[in-house]
Amino acid sequence: MRRLSRAGRDALTDLWLAGPATVMMIVLIFVPVAIVALLSFTDYQFGARSFRFVGLENYTTLFTDPIGRRAVTNTLLYVAVVIPFSMGLALLVAMALHEMATWSRMLSNVLRAAYFLPVAATLVAMALAWQMLLHPSIGLFNAVLSHLGFPRQDLLSDRGLVLYTLAAIGIWQTIGYNMVLFLAGLAAIPRHLYEAAEVDGADRPWERFWTVTWPMLGPTTLFVAVITATQSFRVFETVATLTDGGPAFASETLVYALYREGFVYFKAGYASAITMVFFAFVLALTLLQFRILERRVHYK
Amino acid sequence: MRNLLTATALALVFASSAQAQTTELRVHYSIPTIWTQPKKALEAAFEAAHPEIDIVYDGPAESYEDGVQRLLRESVAGNLPDVAFVGLNLWRVLEARDLPVPLDGFLGDDAAREAAGYTPALRSLGRYEGVQHALATSGSTLVMYVNPELVAQAGGSMEDFPTTFDGVIALAAQIDALGDDIDGIWIQPHDWRFQSLLGSHGGRPLTEDESDVAFDDEAGHAAATLFARFASEGGMPSYGTDQARQAFPAGTLGIMLESSSLLARFEQASGENFDIVVKPLPVVAEDTASVYFPTGGSGVVMLTQDEAKQQAAWEFISFVTGPEGQKIIVENTGYAPANGIVLADEAYLGAWYEANPNAKVAHQQVVTYGGPWYAFPGVEGVAVTDLIAASLVEITEGAEPVETVDALAETLRDRLGMK
Repeated sequence: MRRLSRAGRDALTDLWLAGPATVMMIVLIFVPVAIVALLSFTDYQFGARSFRFVGLENYTTLFTDPIGRRAVTNTLLYVAVVIPFSMGLALLVAMALHEMATWSRMLSNVLRAAYFLPVAATLVAMALAWQMLLHPSIGLFNAVLSHLGFPRQDLLSDRGLVLYTLAAIGIWQTIGYNMVLFLAGLAAIPRHLYEAAEVDGADRPWERFWTVTWPMLGPTTLFVAVITATQSFRVFETVATLTDGGPAFASETLVYALYREGFVYFKAGYASAITMVFFAFVLALTLLQFRILERRVHYK
Repeated sequence: MRNLLTATALALVFASSAQAQTTELRVHYSIPTIWTQPKKALEAAFEAAHPEIDIVYDGPAESYEDGVQRLLRESVAGNLPDVAFVGLNLWRVLEARDLPVPLDGFLGDDAAREAAGYTPALRSLGRYEGVQHALATSGSTLVMYVNPELVAQAGGSMEDFPTTFDGVIALAAQIDALGDDIDGIWIQPHDWRFQSLLGSHGGRPLTEDESDVAFDDEAGHAAATLFARFASEGGMPSYGTDQARQAFPAGTLGIMLESSSLLARFEQASGENFDIVVKPLPVVAEDTASVYFPTGGSGVVMLTQDEAKQQAAWEFISFVTGPEGQKIIVENTGYAPANGIVLADEAYLGAWYEANPNAKVAHQQVVTYGGPWYAFPGVEGVAVTDLIAASLVEITEGAEPVETVDALAETLRDRLGMK
């Protein structure tokens, strides 16, 4: 038997190392995505014996049907609210806790744990807590409101408010995770940069933030933005546990519509089309963020 | 040692040859929190009576919807169970795909069905186009849950409780006036609730042959107007289902129109606060023969195509839907039975009803007025029920009920391809 050349052996090792994961990825992700893409052009019903190709009908329905359009616009609105608030608040909290660590390490750690709790808790259990808290007549939130002289609010069953309530819960849920990422980013900024900035005359906190902290957090911010965007596009559990997309489709989102069409109405073809649109949205957003942010990001 | 081995081997041979004579039935069911206990009891009682049949339950699905999805997946994979318990509103999904085996051959003629306790109302729950595809195993209809303490505070009386919707709404308004955090009445804006109010007026969601939507008539207008009046006069808050189910046991809601299947849960949840009273839904139509209340609950279908197994499957189905099986289900779940004998013959549940007077009210309503929960035909059948719910939300928020219902009927005709 002839011995392989060194390059040949290296190639084999590479294949052996990357191969299994690649095969799994093709079988478990790429092939199903291809099947879903194909199904999205059919009227396939779950469990049906046959189907026919309907071209782009599923896609036109999604963007012309009032309920389909509601799902798309609701999702975009939700994302538009959650991303800036979640990132902005997480950055504020992270900077405060980072500073706090210099005078009270303990308090800072306790608060970190408190902020991280929503990330670690199961959302379904938390949803029950939210439900009770926001209950129009027996909830704490409304008790406080009416005590302060404000009218009671049906935060989960008012069609105008429900999406913002869900967005607020979404923000509450993601701040802790983003905070941890920002804290890691802050810890990685070398002290001497601040000293140099001070020498150059940037000694007010605001100036220090703009000249050192913000530019140095560039890579972290990019990462946090991508993570938050994909997470908020995927919003599902809060909708499913708190509102069922209601009242009257007021909190319908893309992934919930996907679930409803596919698994409640059994319209697999239409649900596949929603999946593809969802996929396209997330991909486009991620690419856009990389494009825009990469130009401003200072990689070393 | 050798003897022991030989004995073990022999025992195994005997055991397996004995097993070869028993028929194994794979049975599917859903909602383990409610059904695991009664299913175990049914299995034990059935196997004691039929040692030649072995019941094996699949791991239960979380909900009836999940259950049907699983059955559809299994049908695609050619791995269906032999018998399945499904939601009474969902067996039509299976029927549309030709999965259930018709039960008419096993049931005999109408006289035989009557004698076995399957009354016409109960038969109608699993029948479509004259074929018996499913048999009901438990039922529930819409009833009024009342908080007697709030009624008393509002100056009403439980003995003299209103039996018309006008009276109920007037009482609800009085209760609602008790305080800022007290609400008068609540009903979920939902297809099944709408069908119930419609049935109380003698209306039907669809025409007899299911070729057209029928609720844009006087009965439908009246039912929709009730939703509007509950909100505008009766002080109905814009609760979601969970919120209402929390508020009622907490004692801040006077009257709640809900499924009778929630009775046990409500009695437990409100335990220390007050004693719940169940009242039947008011009947509006003068011709009570036209009144029906759509019945939720579960039914059973036969799925095995193997003829030898079909006989065993029928033994199991007839046991579950017969008086003995029904007695077990009622005692374990509090759901209304789906067999006439078990209600008529006090030997079965007389003592139980003595101890559970609220259940008697609810079950009597099923027996008297039970009817099919209309499933809308075709691909869009389930989707349109959400459109109905959305229109009812609009009505409770002030939309003109008659116009909204007429527009809804037109939308449904369009979506269901009835034009």
